[in-house]
Amino acid sequence: MDRPHSFTEYIFLTAAVCSGLLTAAVFLFLLIFSLPLLQNGELTDLLLSSWAPDKGMYGIYPMLMASLTLACLSLVISFPLSLGCSFVISALAPARLRRFLLSMVRLMTGIPTVVYSFAALFLLVPFMRNILGHGSGMSILTAAPVLALLIAPTMIIFFVGSFEKVPLSATLAVDALGGNPIQKLLYVMIPQAWPGIINGVLLGFGRAMGDTMISLMLAGNSVSAFNSLSQSARSLTAHIALVMAFDFDSMEFKSIFVCGLLLYIFTAILMLLLRMSTLCLSGKR
Amino acid sequence: MIRRLIEGSLILFSWAAGLLLTLAFLTLVGFLLQKGGTSLGVNLIFGDTAPLDALLLRQQVFDGLFPAIIGTLLLIAGSMLIAIPLGIAAGIYMAEYCRGRVKTFFSLLFDILAGVPSIIVGLAGLSLTIFLHRSFSAQISTSLLISCLSLALLVLPYLIRTTQTALESIDPLIRMTAPALGASRLQNIIRVLLPNSISEIGSGIILATGRCAEDTAVIMLTGAVASAGLPRSIFSQYEALPFYIYYISSQYSGPDELRRGFGAAILLILLCAGLLLTALWMQRRLKTILLYR
Amino acid sequence: MVSSTKIRTQDLCFYYHRQQVLHDISLDFPAHQITAISGPSGSGKSTFLMILNRLWEEIEGCSISGNVAMELDGELQDITSRALSARILRRKVGMVFQQPNPLPMSIFKNIAFPLRLASITDKNQVRHAVENALRQVQLWDEVKERLNDDGRLLSGGQQQRLCLARALILRPEVLLLDEPTSSLDPEASAAIEELLLSLKSQCTLIMVSHYQDQIQRIADLRFEIREGRFISSRSDCDGGNARRQT
Repeated sequence: MDRPHSFTEYIFLTAAVCSGLLTAAVFLFLLIFSLPLLQNGELTDLLLSSWAPDKGMYGIYPMLMASLTLACLSLVISFPLSLGCSFVISALAPARLRRFLLSMVRLMTGIPTVVYSFAALFLLVPFMRNILGHGSGMSILTAAPVLALLIAPTMIIFFVGSFEKVPLSATLAVDALGGNPIQKLLYVMIPQAWPGIINGVLLGFGRAMGDTMISLMLAGNSVSAFNSLSQSARSLTAHIALVMAFDFDSMEFKSIFVCGLLLYIFTAILMLLLRMSTLCLSGKR
Repeated sequence: MIRRLIEGSLILFSWAAGLLLTLAFLTLVGFLLQKGGTSLGVNLIFGDTAPLDALLLRQQVFDGLFPAIIGTLLLIAGSMLIAIPLGIAAGIYMAEYCRGRVKTFFSLLFDILAGVPSIIVGLAGLSLTIFLHRSFSAQISTSLLISCLSLALLVLPYLIRTTQTALESIDPLIRMTAPALGASRLQNIIRVLLPNSISEIGSGIILATGRCAEDTAVIMLTGAVASAGLPRSIFSQYEALPFYIYYISSQYSGPDELRRGFGAAILLILLCAGLLLTALWMQRRLKTILLYR
Repeated sequence: MVSSTKIRTQDLCFYYHRQQVLHDISLDFPAHQITAISGPSGSGKSTFLMILNRLWEEIEGCSISGNVAMELDGELQDITSRALSARILRRKVGMVFQQPNPLPMSIFKNIAFPLRLASITDKNQVRHAVENALRQVQLWDEVKERLNDDGRLLSGGQQQRLCLARALILRPEVLLLDEPTSSLDPEASAAIEELLLSLKSQCTLIMVSHYQDQIQRIADLRFEIREGRFISSRSDCDGGNARRQT
């Protein structure tokens, strides 16, 4: 329906366009600043070689692997825990405990990541040092559980939210047949709510990839490729934070924009995936 | 039989998961409180300077958290000042005017912006600074203003989405009421739709404030430093609580500084938890306060 | 009773997305009478009402064809025309919905709301108009002590009368009623019906209703719509006369 546009509509439109342009501007900035490297070397070179600035090598392969490993490992730890916790909140716990747990999970989302890592630095790192018996105690294995704790509330809230959306009539039907809570969960709620579960996992993975402070403060930041999980490693985000201190014109500095670009594209793909999964699933129903 | 076994172990596992998560969380917070609890006090904030002198800016505070706290408050104020009008206006556009493919396109953009890691937003702020530095004046460097702009960008998609969902979830009957009485679209938005969603939008704003307060990655790239005192202007560098915590974690020189680090962590938790609780309370109460009178 | 035509629709069709909801409706509505529109639910009755104050424009994906002429300020005007602003039209064509819809504000502000929208701010004038409107719907005595209470704290019947007062405060020429009593108990319904009868002198009323007895009691004329098509018109309704006699 075409209607004459009013002046106020233009104001609101301008605000939306500005916000949209800012999103594009972030991408453009990253692209422009990483162009020198993208033109010089092959992109594959950059992605697959290692980091040795003194030899003129600015590959970010170790960081990429560290980021992916960290994110996957924390997801592997966090997913079952979050799912279990959301079972407790949605079906198993009595009302009062349920409210307490939900409030706690909400509170967890408000805890600054820098505080998590600060506490873990003085609690978990010495512990890991003792267990591993070598090194500083900072490693992928140290950072992953803390990262898991960070992404757990995101996932739990998403899971609980999608369980809540299961129509009451469906769960009542199970109750009427004499089913217990866990049967309700297994045979009615999970089959109905799994799109929400997938979306929650995708979001959690995104958060784990994007977090800076935990990997920066706990994973050790070693630039060399790691062979085992008990070794120190540097994630893409930590790499950006650390190289920043260097000279603005150096190749090292430019290389962090490639990292940024990579993370941006990763996010965009993730969001597209989320969008598509939501669309497909809602279309199917 | 096997089914019962699976069901039983699932119950057991779920409870264990809930317990483990609760324990992990409580251990971390308890550890912080135990380590930093003793440091809480006027001394933590103002050091050896008299509080009144510090507050009136008569004397600089060197061994307290005062500059970092002020820095964080300025950051919050500055970035929200930029983000709130833009975010709410864009949210109104998304909910009330935008339709069809344009809407899909915009929401995808905002989703991407919402998902972009905060360090990338900081990197964008840094590149903006370099760009300005090279194009206009060598005087320009990372500063409070750049940080505020970047943080505003960080919370912008969040504000847009909150406003949009709040407006879209209004009961169609209420939505139709004012137009049926001769209201223009703008009148309907200002007099009915916004007041009706004030609690959701309000709590969204508070949550966004919390994100501004806690974010470390953005400010470490755009102008936060370990010791700057109070910022002289929006074009100077500054201290902030989260950056102070990060800095202390790697650079502390003695048990005193470390204790101050724990104190800062507790303060930051209190600030963020306080904001979060306010937001939750607001979701329930604000409507009552503003509209029932 | 001499009655001129207040509203005339000609070949009126209405579409929601690609689906046709109303088919070639051509009807005349006499002035200062209550015309009832009846028919099974989902037959397009409410849609028809929304055409008369152009409220359909607020809903995405609607379109319309045909003519709707309405006599406003003594002149016959084409109300579908862009030249006539929807806001002006809706101030002259009031509407009351099926569910009472008080806004989340005080009773006083609810009723004064249309005045604020029309930028009438003189305090005495507003207070006077609000009192008049409340008296007209016989709500004044019940709420005069608590005008600052939230409108949603009233009972269902009171809320509906509040909405009626709100629709009347701009002195509309036409009043549209979308099943105004279907959410109310019999007693509250009777009060509303009584009110509607008393409004005939002031405006032209068009009411969607599926209560046969209600139509019998208060309507002067009845149109039946089925599956978006006009079926029949009957003028043997009593228009409130029967009740007055008994």
